[in-house]
Amino acid sequence: MLGLSLKGVSKSFGHITAVEPTDLSFPKGELTALLGPSGCGKTTLLRMIAGLEAPTRGTILLGGEDITTHPAHKRKFGMVFQSFALFPHYSVRENVAYSLVIGGMGKAAACKKANALLETVQLGGFGDRRIGELSGGQRQRVAIARALAQEPEVFLLDEPMSALDAKLREEMQVELRLLQQRLGITTIVVTHDQREAMTMADQIVVMSNGRIEQIAPPQEIYHQPANTFVADFIGKANFFDGIVVEGGVTVGDTHLTTQANFQSGSPVQIAIRPERAAMDDEGGANRVAAKVMFVRDLGPLREYHLQSDIGPMIVEYAVGETGPTLSTGDATTVRLPPEAIQVFPRAAPKSQAA
Amino acid sequence: MTVADDIPLAKPARAGKATQPFPIRRVVPGVLTTLIVVFCVAPFLLVLAISFGRKVDGAAWVWDLTFENYQRFFVGVLWPDEITLLYLQQLYYSFYFAVIASLLAVLTALPFTLLLTRLKRSTQAMWLVFILSSLAMSEVFIVMGWDILLSNNSGLPKLFRETGLTAWLKDVGWFQTLRDWGLANPRNVKFKTSDFATVLTMSYLVWPYAVILLYPALSRLDPSLAEAARTMGAGRWTVTRTVTLPSIRLPLLGTTLLLFVFLLGTYVAVTVFAAPEKHTTAVAIYSNVRGANLNAPFGATQAIMLLIAASTCLSLGHLLNRKAEGAR
Repeated sequence: MLGLSLKGVSKSFGHITAVEPTDLSFPKGELTALLGPSGCGKTTLLRMIAGLEAPTRGTILLGGEDITTHPAHKRKFGMVFQSFALFPHYSVRENVAYSLVIGGMGKAAACKKANALLETVQLGGFGDRRIGELSGGQRQRVAIARALAQEPEVFLLDEPMSALDAKLREEMQVELRLLQQRLGITTIVVTHDQREAMTMADQIVVMSNGRIEQIAPPQEIYHQPANTFVADFIGKANFFDGIVVEGGVTVGDTHLTTQANFQSGSPVQIAIRPERAAMDDEGGANRVAAKVMFVRDLGPLREYHLQSDIGPMIVEYAVGETGPTLSTGDATTVRLPPEAIQVFPRAAPKSQAA
Repeated sequence: MTVADDIPLAKPARAGKATQPFPIRRVVPGVLTTLIVVFCVAPFLLVLAISFGRKVDGAAWVWDLTFENYQRFFVGVLWPDEITLLYLQQLYYSFYFAVIASLLAVLTALPFTLLLTRLKRSTQAMWLVFILSSLAMSEVFIVMGWDILLSNNSGLPKLFRETGLTAWLKDVGWFQTLRDWGLANPRNVKFKTSDFATVLTMSYLVWPYAVILLYPALSRLDPSLAEAARTMGAGRWTVTRTVTLPSIRLPLLGTTLLLFVFLLGTYVAVTVFAAPEKHTTAVAIYSNVRGANLNAPFGATQAIMLLIAASTCLSLGHLLNRKAEGAR
């Protein structure tokens, strides 16, 4: 299905490159999350898609049509801004009906449609209120309803949850995802919150320094990160520097059995997720002696911060899992399953769990 | 009981007095009240009292309690034989010039200030310092500059004539239009005296104030509001009409009213550029108080009437704004 796609799109501000040449497709009807740390170029990319910034180079295609030079008001992609950008001088209903009224729809019909949209976002009966009378969550819903009023082909959201508190954010992530699935609209969400991206997205685009690091579904991003940046940015991981040897990797004096598709002698970095390491009595390869330095109880999770023979690491157990009961100072053995170890070419030195 | 228990404790009152802070909270309001009374209330009451005084023919004036000055302001000195509206007409021209000049200043300062807020911080600071420094020039100095620029023998009219622009205007037939507007005599364009020159100079006088008053509101304007409107299909003009202007409605109204009140008192620009029959109340007040008439009571009456008219306008503006707020 032809959706939105970018061909070699880049953006420079003077001598600073905000977005390097990017090829990217947004499948029709799916939700894509642009995920990355602050300043990685994700908002610039979104603004280029919206028509609020002109790309320095490249082409933006919608359903095969080149829309690169179309101004924002011709593209009419619904957009929810980080600050919500609701018009304070209009009521809630007038905000939602804005695109309809300026588009030439009669006032009565626009109000009727605005009321229906407010019902969709569970704000029926709030139409006459002033924007200043709404809570953060309600404002976000108004912003969503307003952006959807013009029935856009592409729905853009720039950090839509950042102004909400943690609990409301979690609720709204699920709500927004359900709404997007119901409407089946191509949606792009910019976020720096990996939980938000994992919760909502069909496809995640991880970005760093204006570059795309990986494009994949959430589970693939988590379990098969393309590089150390993705492994580090998405979830937690224990990193160790090593050298590739026959049948595995040597970290310090410890040989770890794993599959490493590198030439022997290559410097590499290995990563293992805290929940994939285990402290149990099962035999097998890759057992490392360690001492418990700190136990962090998070309710549904318990983290053991260890000092092992190969360096500091974290091992994590969820409630309900069969795990050891250890205290600070206890000695233990950590098992690193070969299939759980990911091997990357060595990048920036990392010796501690992220 | 120990010896220490017998030693009487030092009274803390003295130490307390020494450390008592200066009662600034009581002094400052007192000083402010005194300043307001001395510099605002007392002069106003004095002018009010003088407005009920009586001019003595061939002499100065005496204290009195007569309403003749107010009667003269509304129906003229010849009443009841004849009604003349000269003083009301002067008040009308005060409003006429002040309204047009304040609107012109705000309308031209608005796009400039909007552009200014989109520049780099350092460039903005440079412009603001430049605009602030232009306030150091007095009205007399500015009017003198415009007087030279618009004078028939050395200014723009001469430039028009020397460059052949006057001849060209005559050839294309636009010269007659300028004559109809009072901006040309049979030989060349002329800007003195004209409403155009008066309004232009008055606008120039208050233009820096307009920028400085609008700047805080415009620099606080969230750019994502306009961007949101654009993503919803609004073109540049629609964004300005439906988002930008309504968002800064209050600062716009406030700035216009402030400039309007300021311009009601313009004296030098009107004296130099306005035709004598279009002189304003401010010019008339000066003429009565310090000029040829030496009729301080009537000058004071005109000042009071100007003040009342300005206050009425401000109240009306406030009322309209509240009505507009209520209607939303």
